[in-house]
Amino acid sequence: MTKRILIVEDEIHISNIIKMNLNLVHYETVEVYDGLAALDVLKQEKFNLILLDVMIPSLDGFELMERIKAYGTPVIFLTAKNSVYDKVKGLKLGAEDYMVKPFEAIELLARIETVLRRYGTEDKVITFQHVQVDLDKREVVIQGEPVDMTPKEYNLLVVLLKNKNIALTREQFLEKVWGVDYYGETRTVDMHIKSLRKKLNLHEQIKTIYKIGYRLEE
Amino acid sequence: MKLWLKIYLFSILVFVVIFNAASIMVIERSHNKMLGQAIDVALSQNMSIHSSVDAIVPILRIYDSIDYEKTVLTRIANEFVDKNSDQKIYLDITDDSNRTVFNNSGFPMPAERSELGNLINNRIHYILRDMGSKTILFTANITDINHKAYVFTYMKDVTSVYQERVDQYKFFAQVDLAACLVFMMIMLIVSKSLTRSIDRLNRTAKVIAQGNFSERVQLKSRDEIGVLGASFNEMAGVVEDKIIELERINEEKQRFINNFTHELKTPLTSIIGYANFLRTTKYKEELFVDGLNVIYSEGKRLESLSLKLMDLILLKKGHFQLEQQSLHKIIAEMKPALDIMVKDKGVQVVLDCQDANLLLETDLIKVLIFNLVDNALKASSAGQTVALRNFWREDGCVLAVMDQGIGIAKEHQDKIFEPFYMADKSRTGSGSGAGLGLAICQNVADIHNASIHISSRMPHGTIVEVIFAPTDTESGSR
Repeated sequence: MTKRILIVEDEIHISNIIKMNLNLVHYETVEVYDGLAALDVLKQEKFNLILLDVMIPSLDGFELMERIKAYGTPVIFLTAKNSVYDKVKGLKLGAEDYMVKPFEAIELLARIETVLRRYGTEDKVITFQHVQVDLDKREVVIQGEPVDMTPKEYNLLVVLLKNKNIALTREQFLEKVWGVDYYGETRTVDMHIKSLRKKLNLHEQIKTIYKIGYRLEE
Repeated sequence: MKLWLKIYLFSILVFVVIFNAASIMVIERSHNKMLGQAIDVALSQNMSIHSSVDAIVPILRIYDSIDYEKTVLTRIANEFVDKNSDQKIYLDITDDSNRTVFNNSGFPMPAERSELGNLINNRIHYILRDMGSKTILFTANITDINHKAYVFTYMKDVTSVYQERVDQYKFFAQVDLAACLVFMMIMLIVSKSLTRSIDRLNRTAKVIAQGNFSERVQLKSRDEIGVLGASFNEMAGVVEDKIIELERINEEKQRFINNFTHELKTPLTSIIGYANFLRTTKYKEELFVDGLNVIYSEGKRLESLSLKLMDLILLKKGHFQLEQQSLHKIIAEMKPALDIMVKDKGVQVVLDCQDANLLLETDLIKVLIFNLVDNALKASSAGQTVALRNFWREDGCVLAVMDQGIGIAKEHQDKIFEPFYMADKSRTGSGSGAGLGLAICQNVADIHNASIHISSRMPHGTIVEVIFAPTDTESGSR
């Protein structure tokens, strides 16, 4: 099932870039550019998540937050302000998370995913072409046959699936799979990618991007 | 020790000392007076006996008989004692060989009688003696009868005078106690009420110290403490004003920083977002061009923001040399540039300028005009005109920029000079501009000792007037 995300952001370029990134990983998006419009849309449609800018015209993010609490839709604040006061205020109002501009697309995706998982709306099974991944069982199945994988290979695959169509650098892979504390060489990533391609027959789909890293393409 | 306690104890101490001393002096004086009177009376009585004895001395001399003398003396003495029997008077007569001729005292005469030493004729000596519980005044004189010296001792019981003094003291002790109690009570109230206003002042000072700057002390009295209270309130008022002023400045600064971060981060977010998107996703020509366009325009926006901010900082710090310049020449010079600026939007610039020589800084005036026309242009739509007028009025030379655009709503009019403030918050349409234009204009106007007035009617357009104060009052340079 496709997740629907409402983007409330008055700056059209930022709104667009968020939309493009979310669409890449198959979230459905609706964009509005001020608080009152957001209120109108929310009255008519249901969303899995709201990305809410604080400084928006007609009704600012904090005020809007108060009014839409009743809908129970999780909210992630986006803002240029990074004062602790604003963060605390946003979170106290019931926001799930708080992102300070400028932010990285993959960070935004990761946080959206975390919030959706918390609300139980995250998919339990990810299907990518012939590969099926059961997140609860940590099991990878190809045409009904389970595939034997190491934990690192499995984690790497999940990261690729969750950021499909977006290239990640080897450093980002290291951080997400091996953890921030890991001081290994980026060649480790190359070796795991190589074995993933082989085990899952994803030679074409996992693309090497020159000077950046790897991308899972559909 | 507390002030009220000091006042209280000190006044009580002073009162007790003075009151007691004065009372004792009064009692002692009246006692001495009474004693003196008693002595005077005794002396005069003694004198009267003496004179009555003197009167019969010639007769006695004729008889010259000791027995007769004694009889007569006794009779006189008895007569006298009888006459004064109620006055506790005693008489003692002894002859020259110290034998008692008459005594009615009822107590033994003291053995040692210092008053008799050096006693001569017609002189009366007296002495006070305590005899048991009584105080007796002894007055003695010698009367010479037939060459025999008879000592007449006239005694008066003056115990009552001393008793009177004791009574006075007893009474005084009661009065003293009562007076002290009353005084203590009154002083307690007085000293408390004197220091109460100080307490109140102190409480108010503490409340203010806790950050409640609007607190004032309520003192109605007109004494020194009342004056102090008034001065205190005055001081608190000044402090409160300063605090409010500081808070306002602080808020303004915070708002400036918030707005600045917002203006800085918004284009940065777009640039980073698009750059990253283009770099990490599959190439699509259409997206690629769009993305690069956004990166370019947002980069430009950052550039213009930094330039304007630089202008603003320079204007705030700068020291500018003003020179006598012709305003309408400067405007005429700018005309071609303004025409190019408005052409894209299909707007016309109309000039209507009188000659005006003012103290100006050419570049700053250009910045001012450019910003005002730019604002007018943003509000206008195709086919409308922006008029630039320059004329003299009684309050000075006026440079007016008029447009026929959308106008500015009332609620925005007092805030538009604030840096980063934009009446049209949704930047989705125009995109350019950071809300610094009017802030810059205000600073330029300040440097030229000019003021800016904005009158606007939605949706009939806006008139911005820059009024230069008459030049003859100008000092020349700032």
